[in-house]
Amino acid sequence: MPGSSSTSDLIKVDETLWEIPASARADMNVPARVFADEALLEALAGDRSLEQLQNVATLPGIVDAALAMPDVHQGYGFPVGGVAATALPDGVVSPGGVGYDINCGVRLLALPLRAEELGARREALVDRIARRVPAGAGKAGELRLEGDDLDDVLRMGPRALLARGIGTGDDIERTESSGCLPGADPSLVSERAHLRGAGQLGTLGSGNHFVELQRVERVLDKETAEAFGLHDGQVTVLIHSGSRGLGHQVCTDYVRLLDERRARYGIVLPDRQLACAPASSPEGQAYLAAMAAAANFAFANRQALAHAVREAVEEVLGSRAARETRQVYDVAHNVAKLERHAGRELCVHRKGATRAFPAGSEDIPAAFRRVGQPVFIPGSMGTSSFVLVGGPRALERSFGTTCHGAGRRLSRTRAKKLVNGRELRRQLESAGVVVRCPSGAGLAEEAPFAYKDVEQVVDVVERAGLARRVAQLRPLGVVKG
Amino acid sequence: MTGALHRFVEHTGELELVVQAPTETGIFEEALAAFRSIVGVGDGETVRRDIEVSAPDRESLLVAWLGELVFLAEIEGFVPDRAASLALAEGRLRAAVVGHFGRPSHLVKAVTLNSLELREEGGSWHARVVLDV
Repeated sequence: MPGSSSTSDLIKVDETLWEIPASARADMNVPARVFADEALLEALAGDRSLEQLQNVATLPGIVDAALAMPDVHQGYGFPVGGVAATALPDGVVSPGGVGYDINCGVRLLALPLRAEELGARREALVDRIARRVPAGAGKAGELRLEGDDLDDVLRMGPRALLARGIGTGDDIERTESSGCLPGADPSLVSERAHLRGAGQLGTLGSGNHFVELQRVERVLDKETAEAFGLHDGQVTVLIHSGSRGLGHQVCTDYVRLLDERRARYGIVLPDRQLACAPASSPEGQAYLAAMAAAANFAFANRQALAHAVREAVEEVLGSRAARETRQVYDVAHNVAKLERHAGRELCVHRKGATRAFPAGSEDIPAAFRRVGQPVFIPGSMGTSSFVLVGGPRALERSFGTTCHGAGRRLSRTRAKKLVNGRELRRQLESAGVVVRCPSGAGLAEEAPFAYKDVEQVVDVVERAGLARRVAQLRPLGVVKG
Repeated sequence: MTGALHRFVEHTGELELVVQAPTETGIFEEALAAFRSIVGVGDGETVRRDIEVSAPDRESLLVAWLGELVFLAEIEGFVPDRAASLALAEGRLRAAVVGHFGRPSHLVKAVTLNSLELREEGGSWHARVVLDV
């Protein structure tokens, strides 16, 4: 039954996959599997990720296994880096399996110049981005949408912003699910959630959200990089944000509702945060419709942030550079999607995990169908990020999923004990990274040593066949919330 | 509240708050103090907010209480100082909270049900709640 789990409970399946069998606990319906190597497994010894993963394995209707990516760490309910697929129509949907920041994700922009050409204008560009992008928790932006205007965004996602000159049709084509999850229903998003979202479109938020100016340090797969429009030395901008207070409130509302209605469906859970309902039930359907609305808001939020970056590019590098700043792709890493895998209709929860469909998938833009879906893996602040492409074994092994980042190793409290914001700022700037962050404490919480080694994480997903490295990106500057 | 205390215990991803108080009401008051320690100090106009929340059980009531403070901080920039009054009834909390408008520096996204506890043990009250940050 529920209790502490340790890495010694894991059985090695192969060089990158480990398993706790379903027989380990009476309430588990499927095994718990972790993609990792031995060093990454050691990092799990100090937290409750494995116990949380076993809890996920108890969800009614879960199929195959509860999965953890190599960047997994302790979260609430699901571990961060967790994946669970439930069989439709009666398998459950769990708002905690998506998380409060619904459709938190990353968007990569490619600028039409090389880092050498940017030269001394680098700091000015970071400054302009910092001025254009409202950062910090709860911060309001210039784009305040209410009533029907906000509901249009919830229904349509970034397409609703095109008439305001924000984004392009090409941006939308190069966004996961074309920036619009089907079935979104604003009427199922509470008034509180509307209130929290009204002033937050185009804002970054706090915590680990950022806008990072980068250069392509190394192209590792030339053909795929060309298909993505990336080349050696190129300047890129990576945007990491989500659905802000609107998404947080949608999750809050539905965790509460589904927790209250659990008895109606006879659902017994080891952790109340896993509150869930059959996907086909009125409560499950309502959550999916509200979650889709919040996800569409998040896609639109990243589009508004990308617009702000283009405005900064225009101010510093001119209008042609802004016009030629292209979107590579936009991926979600906190979402539940209805997908078909091996002939089964499934609800795939990805909590801190990225969809990574391989070449040939009908669900990715035509421009990438020959090579596979782009995936962006931010490193910790000051270290490399990676562009990956969906791997050949992702569909069979992980419902077409890979990791989403480096994964936390230390708590925020411990990180702040080990370094203060001023010292970290000095270290980053002496390493050539321009830093703009309103909070010293917030900066220290995101210190690079608080995270696992992103290269190690990416190495595991590549060896496991979930995704393949395409390019390595180095930070030039960072704007943090 | 005299004899009440709170601390944040190690949690890799989020903030795990542990509260201890001589009374159940004290748990809710001390949870407010813990929330204030996260969001900073308001230096604007002094204001009072009347809060009423309900929940099916006492643990969820603690989540709803903190959730209301999260909402007010995000929407109004309201930083609570203390509860001028706080009354618990079955499944319901009524409070008058005094605070200031400010610029909350490090907001909580949400209050979770993960590892949620609220219980009396050995003559004092204990609570545990994980905050998504």
